[in-house]
Amino acid sequence: MTPQAQRPGWRRLAAAFPRRMIVPSVLLAALIIIPFAAPLITDANPIRISVRERLSPPSWAHPLGQDEFGRDRLARVLYGGQISLTVAFVATSIACIVGTLFGLIGAYFRGPFQFVTTRMADIVLCFPPILLALLVVTLFGPGAVTLVAVLSVLYFPSFARIAFSEALRVSSLDFVEASRALGTPSRRILLRTILPNIAGPVSVQYSLTAAAAITIESGLSFLGLGVVPPAPSWGQMIRGARQFMEQDPLGILIPCIALTLTIYAINFFCDRLRDTLDPKGGAGDGKDTVSRPIASAVAGHTPVADAPETVAEIRDLRLDLALPGAPVTLIEDVSLRLRANECTALVGESGSGKSLSSLALMGLLPGGIRQSSGQLRLRRKSGEMVDLATLTARELEQVRGHDVAMIFQEPMTSLNPVHKVGTQMVEAIQAHRPMSAEAARKLAITLLERVGINEAARRFDGYPHEMSGGMRQRVMIAMALSCEPRLLIADEPTTALDVTIQAEIIELLRDLRRDYADGLSLLFISHNLGIVADIADRVAVMYSGQVVEEGPTDLVLRAPLHPYTRALLESMPSSHEALHSARGDRLQAISGTPPLPNARPSGCAFRDRCPIAIEACATIRPHLEPRPGERAVRCIRAPEGQEVAA
Amino acid sequence: MTDMTPTRPLLEVRGLNKHYPAGKRGLFGRQMMQVLRDVSFDLYPGEVLGLVGESGSGKSTIGKAVLRLVDSQSQAMRFDGRELAGLPTEDLRRLRKDMQIIFQDPYASLDPRKTIRATLTEALDTHGLHRGAARQPRLVALMQMVGLNPAFLDRRPHEFSGGQRQRIGIARALAVEPRFIVADEAVSALDVSIQAQVLNLLADLRAKTGVSLLFISHDLSVVRFISDRVMVLYLGRVMEVGPADQVHFAPRHPYTAALVSAEPSLHKAPDRIRLTGEIPSPLNPPSGCVFRSRCPYALPACATAVPDLRPAGEGRMTACIRDDIL
Repeated sequence: MTPQAQRPGWRRLAAAFPRRMIVPSVLLAALIIIPFAAPLITDANPIRISVRERLSPPSWAHPLGQDEFGRDRLARVLYGGQISLTVAFVATSIACIVGTLFGLIGAYFRGPFQFVTTRMADIVLCFPPILLALLVVTLFGPGAVTLVAVLSVLYFPSFARIAFSEALRVSSLDFVEASRALGTPSRRILLRTILPNIAGPVSVQYSLTAAAAITIESGLSFLGLGVVPPAPSWGQMIRGARQFMEQDPLGILIPCIALTLTIYAINFFCDRLRDTLDPKGGAGDGKDTVSRPIASAVAGHTPVADAPETVAEIRDLRLDLALPGAPVTLIEDVSLRLRANECTALVGESGSGKSLSSLALMGLLPGGIRQSSGQLRLRRKSGEMVDLATLTARELEQVRGHDVAMIFQEPMTSLNPVHKVGTQMVEAIQAHRPMSAEAARKLAITLLERVGINEAARRFDGYPHEMSGGMRQRVMIAMALSCEPRLLIADEPTTALDVTIQAEIIELLRDLRRDYADGLSLLFISHNLGIVADIADRVAVMYSGQVVEEGPTDLVLRAPLHPYTRALLESMPSSHEALHSARGDRLQAISGTPPLPNARPSGCAFRDRCPIAIEACATIRPHLEPRPGERAVRCIRAPEGQEVAA
Repeated sequence: MTDMTPTRPLLEVRGLNKHYPAGKRGLFGRQMMQVLRDVSFDLYPGEVLGLVGESGSGKSTIGKAVLRLVDSQSQAMRFDGRELAGLPTEDLRRLRKDMQIIFQDPYASLDPRKTIRATLTEALDTHGLHRGAARQPRLVALMQMVGLNPAFLDRRPHEFSGGQRQRIGIARALAVEPRFIVADEAVSALDVSIQAQVLNLLADLRAKTGVSLLFISHDLSVVRFISDRVMVLYLGRVMEVGPADQVHFAPRHPYTAALVSAEPSLHKAPDRIRLTGEIPSPLNPPSGCVFRSRCPYALPACATAVPDLRPAGEGRMTACIRDDIL
């Protein structure tokens, strides 16, 4: 790596040296420094022969004993380490610089450069490394310089490969395109923009290669093709001690331990380095686990009279992000009642907590998030209302898919690309409904036809990549409906689709709700108020982890009570068909940005962006107050808001 | 501009075509996918031209082709009277000062390892602008121009929200005082409340600096609000061009009409024009009019000849032989 690559990376590391890197760094530094501090540790000469004292056990003068020629083992293992480490790190550095350059140039300029880089790497990679090393050493004779040359040639292709693929990835990012659009010279783009961004994977490869180089160096020296005797090296020590293994096991143990420790230290360092450089590594453990809903007894459970039309209810939900120190409240005081045959929309901007609320209702909260209060209740198909907290993990699985189903934004990633569409559908059906494969197939094809897929039987045997985004979302809907759930949660189901396809999917969802015999409730999560107006009966507007307004869709969107709802509607260009930027018109934008969950203003979370905020808003935390017309609003200024709207 | 003076266009594009190699390698080389077919348009100084279309319509490719970030074939592609195709590297590099781009993804468009100062400095250094003592005031002015606190100059992108990053992207484009900016879905990834801020910012900048914009978006209302004229694309072909309000409220092409009616809106009755089927693959587009396979008004004649883009009054053009019915 060139200095340019290291500077920003290391400065960043030093600024916030991660705690997990301390132990491996100290260990690795010690193992590298100790051999080079050999003259300070022992005055023994590693190549002075003393035949009379051959194979003598450890003594005061020779703490690790003497070898088959009576040479001091401590001195040999230390000086041998110097040679092994020097050969390994010099060779790796050369391989790294040359390989990275090749990879960078190949990836950035493409064409013939790409051909040369990848083909050269392919050729070298074809040779088994140890054979290639043997061949070269036999041709050019053993010695440290030959070793360095061989190892560099052996390892540069792996650097070229990694640098190539990483640089290819980075080159396609917009910020590189932006530099090209600015007219920045290629050399500067390569060194200042691309190189720092591929430094992470390349430095991990550097550590891995150094460890491998030490092993190969030792192997070659063991075979007598590496460092020339009498100069010490770990491989040579093993080679010498091997003949006397039975009389003197210590002789073979010492270099082996040195070798193992060094490689272990390097690998340990690599592992931690990779975690540190990977931005996702920091989040740590428990990512795949799912938080359990908490028992309602803990939350101060009060028995509720169930209205028979309720299919699901969220009551006083509070979700915390469990961080060391103070937990951060992501969602607070969220209550929502979903009624049979109704479509309820949950709208809000990114980070408002709309998706988290729906995941909680599926019992699918990510591991780092804890439910610290509130109740989540669902009505099963049997008519019984269950509290998610009282269910076992097994029962929760039964509820999901059977009583509640979910579709997501990204139909590309929700289907497994290596399995046929039909296989995935049959699997989903059989997981919840005991039926033969043939019956499941028939049901799947019927469902595909129901969601408007032409030639359903042919599509059943096709793969997801053969379908367009709109068709995949139809397949996801068919799968979600396979167990006839009472409640379908749709999390931004049309956001990734083109507008004409989006309209078709919305229409499909509307038709399904109309045709569904036992009634299908929909929880529709979206940021697009236009779609919400199109599909939802009721709407709940979320801001910064709270529901700020709730009510029948037409009322809320026509005469919003909360200043945030009003501002949201005002800021949409489609609300102002008479305005045009060229005539000097501007949209009524909401100033500022939504607060982060750990930096919400006191009192009302919206007050610092609110056009009608008063002093009291900073002190009073407003409650969601009921209003006439089955509405509710969380704003102390709301009555005034109503007048404004009217 | 609404009162368009017949000045010389800043950007003239005639017969722009773009092919990508795609699909299986056959006996006679690779199959070619044509993403742009015979696209022609003019962009006048200070004008905002909106490009709308669904995915695969080629709208982003037009933006990259006129900036010469991708190769393309054209009869003519002139910026300020100079032919862009075949321009020597050094001349092109100098010309880039006048043509900039703003990207969609506020996360991918900034180098995560560079401070905002470094990002903006790169732009100024490349063209030798505001050197020495003039540098700091210029950086401060740029930050203020896009509504950011100049104290943030030494922060890295991860410390900013999506909307703030988009402002930084705009500041980078403005740093070299361009005469023309391609805004490629520049507000699509932003939340509604932030989107309005950035749209207002772009409108203000246009009014203040007179920069021309090629505003690419799939959101028709956004395009209508910001653009003087709108060009509708489908499968790499121009379907309709005309003044923004007219195209939006009184479309003359069946595709534009379908697109407008499909757009979710708070006020519209949900009686939309139904299109049949999916967008065809650009590898195998329909003969004649590319839209005929989904068009509710298609005639047998639509399959035989590619309709020309014909004048349709009030500075409008449409490529449809059935423009009588709309």
